[in-house]
Amino acid sequence: MRIALVGQPNCGKSALFNSVAGYKTIVSNFPGTTVDFVTSRVNLNGDGFTLVDLPGIYSLSTSEKEEMVARGYLISERPDLVINIMDASVISRSLELTMELLELKIPLVICLNMMDEAAKKGVEIDVGHLSQDLGVPVVPTIANRGRGVPELFQTALETARSGKTGKIHSLSLDVERAISELADVFGAPTAAKLGVPRRFLAIKLLEEDDEFQRAVREINPNILGDVRRLRRVLSECHGRPSDVVVSSERHSLAVNLFEHVAKVKPRTAKPFRDQADRYLMHPYWGYVFLAGILFCFFWVVFSFGKHIEEPILALFQQFEAYLVAHLGSQSLWFTVANGLIQGFSGGIGIVLPYLIPFLLGLSLLEDIGYLPRAAFLMDSIMHSIGLHGKSIIPFVLSYGCNVPAIMGVRIMERARDRFITAVLVTLIPCAARTTVIFALVAFYLGPLRALLLYLLNLVVIAGAGKILSRFMPDVSPGMILEMPSYKLPRVSTVMRKIWFRLREFVVIAWPILIAGSVILSLLEYFQLAERINGILSIFTTGLLGLPSAVGITLIFGILRKELAIIMLVQALGTSHFSSVMTEEQMMVFTVFSLFYIPCLATLGMLRSTIGNRGMLFTLFFNTAIGTLMALVTRAFYWVF
Amino acid sequence: MTMTLEKVKGGMSAVVKQIHGGHRIRQKLGGLGIHVDDSLKVLRTGFLGGPVLIEVHGTQVGIGHGMAEKVEVEVREKA
Repeated sequence: MRIALVGQPNCGKSALFNSVAGYKTIVSNFPGTTVDFVTSRVNLNGDGFTLVDLPGIYSLSTSEKEEMVARGYLISERPDLVINIMDASVISRSLELTMELLELKIPLVICLNMMDEAAKKGVEIDVGHLSQDLGVPVVPTIANRGRGVPELFQTALETARSGKTGKIHSLSLDVERAISELADVFGAPTAAKLGVPRRFLAIKLLEEDDEFQRAVREINPNILGDVRRLRRVLSECHGRPSDVVVSSERHSLAVNLFEHVAKVKPRTAKPFRDQADRYLMHPYWGYVFLAGILFCFFWVVFSFGKHIEEPILALFQQFEAYLVAHLGSQSLWFTVANGLIQGFSGGIGIVLPYLIPFLLGLSLLEDIGYLPRAAFLMDSIMHSIGLHGKSIIPFVLSYGCNVPAIMGVRIMERARDRFITAVLVTLIPCAARTTVIFALVAFYLGPLRALLLYLLNLVVIAGAGKILSRFMPDVSPGMILEMPSYKLPRVSTVMRKIWFRLREFVVIAWPILIAGSVILSLLEYFQLAERINGILSIFTTGLLGLPSAVGITLIFGILRKELAIIMLVQALGTSHFSSVMTEEQMMVFTVFSLFYIPCLATLGMLRSTIGNRGMLFTLFFNTAIGTLMALVTRAFYWVF
Repeated sequence: MTMTLEKVKGGMSAVVKQIHGGHRIRQKLGGLGIHVDDSLKVLRTGFLGGPVLIEVHGTQVGIGHGMAEKVEVEVREKA
C-alpha cells in the first residue's frame, strides 16, 4: 500500500514524515526545502505501507517544476491514499488545494496539523463539521511533538482499505455547465489515457493548464476548439479570464467552508512575530540585525573552534613525536602511520570543531524561521546580480558546504536561476575552504586580512553573477515567498539535522581524507611528489610565485578542500607556515584555493543538478577566476 | 484609489482589483491565497526596488518588486 503526503509548503509535512519514517529528509522552517520526493517503508502495529513525501505544493494548477513533480506522481502513480496535511492556522488557503485533491478521486484523509499554532492565533476549528463538509476523515495533530500521529495513520489505513473518496463541491451553475459540456466532448477514453477523472481534466483545460493542454493536443487535438470556445464563454460572462473564473470559484468555496467550520477569536496580545518582525524586517534595522546575526554566527563558530583546535593539534603532535622516536622518521611504517594520523587529526582537529558549531548555528537559523526573512531582505540585493532573494538560502548554506547548497538550488523554479546560483555557490568559501583561510591567513596574518578575503570573495561573486546573467538574461516577474511564523526549534530535530549533515562528512569525506593523507605520505616517501610538483611548477612557481612544494597540495585540494591545508603541512614539513612562506605567498595560495576547481563531491553534485556541461563550465570558470584573482593579489603586493 | 501593489504605503489595507501578466503569474499568486477581490494589508512597502510584505488570509507573504508591479489594488483605508 502506498500513502502519499501532500500539503502546502511549510505545513509540517516533513516533520510528520520523519516522525514515523526515521530520518530521511531534512525538515526546516523554509518553504520548499523538500526537493524531489522521498519514500520510506513504515510498519504500524503490524500493517506495512510505503510512505511518500512529496514536495510541498500550493495548488494543482501550476507550471512550477517542483509542483509538477508532486502532481505528476499523484496522477501517474495514483497512490492508494493521500494524506492532505494542512497548517490549521491557515486553513482557508489550504482548503483550495484540498478542493483540487478531492477532484482526483483518490481516497483522502486530512491531517489538521499545527493545532497549537492555530490555537495561538485564536483559530478554533470544528473538526467534525469540517469532516462532514468534505466527506473525508479529519485528524487533528501536532506533528513535531508526535501528537495525533498514530491516530492519523490508523485512520489513513482504514480509509485506504474502504477506498472511500470525498465529496466533490459544485461550482456555480454556468461553470458547472461548461465543465460538463467539455467532459462530454472528450469523453471517458481521453481522460482515462491521461489517468485523471473527466471532471478534473475539464477543469484543468478551462484553467489553461499547459501540461494537460499539450497532452490533449497529442491524443485528441480536435477538442481544443471546444476548449477555446467554452473558455471564451466563461470569460465573457464573468468579465475575466476563464482560469481566474475557476480559481476564484474554488477560492470562494474554500472561504465559505472556512467560515462554516472555523471561528477566529480576536487576539488580545500582540503576537510575538509582529514584535520581532518590527525590528528584524525593518527597512534599515533589518539589515543591521541581519549583518549582526551573521557576524555573531561566524564569530562564535570560529572562536569556539579555535579553542578546541589548538589543544587537539598539540596532542597529535606529541603522538607524532612519540612515533618518530619509536619508528624512526625515515621508515616506511612511520610514513604510513604519519599519513594516517595527519588525515585523522585533520578531520578531528580542524574540521569537526568548526563544522559542529557551524551546523548547529545554521540549523537553528533554519528552524527558527529566520532564513525566509533573510531572503526577503536580500531580494533587491540579489536582484542586482540577476538572482532572486530565494537564492540567499543556497548562498548561506554554501558557507557550510557547497554540496547541500547545490542540493538547495532546486528550490528555484527556473533552470536559469538554478544554473547561475549553482555556479556562484561553488565560489563561496565552504567550511573546508574557511579552514584554509583561518589556518593560513587569520592565524598568521590577522583576522582583518581574513575579513578582506571574504569581502573580495563577495565582490568576485557579484561580478561573476553579473557576467553570467548578461549571457542568461532574467525574464521572470520575481520572487514570491511565504513568511512562516517563528518557531522554537526542537532539540531532537536540530540534533538529527546536524547528524545528517555531519554523517556526510564522517562517512564520505573523512575516509578519503585519511586515504589521501596516506597516499601523499607515500608519494613523498617514494619521492613522486617532487615529480608532480615539477610538472606543476610552471604554474605554481612561474605564474603564482609559490613554493613548488604546493603543487601536490592543490591536487589534493580537488579531492577535498581542507586537504589543501592538511597536505600543505605535509608538503612543507611544518605547520608553522610563516617560517617557510612569505605573506604574499600565503595570500596568493589562499586566494587561489578559494576559487579554483571545486572539490570532487561538489563536482558530483553539480553534475546531477546542472549536467555535465554545466559541471565542466564551472570547473573552467572557477579555475580562470582563481588564476586571475591570484595574479591580482600578486600584483597588489608588487605595487604596495 | 487604485495603484499597483508596490506603491501602497505600509500599514494600508487594499483590495486586489486586477492581476496583469499571464495566467502563470495568477496561478503563482493564487497558490499563496492572492486572488482578485481579496483584501490584503501591506506590512512593508517595497522601497528601493525591494519586495513588498503583505498579510493575506492570515499569512504573511513577501512579493518581489517586479511581481508586485503586476498587481493592481484599490487602497481602502489606514488599518
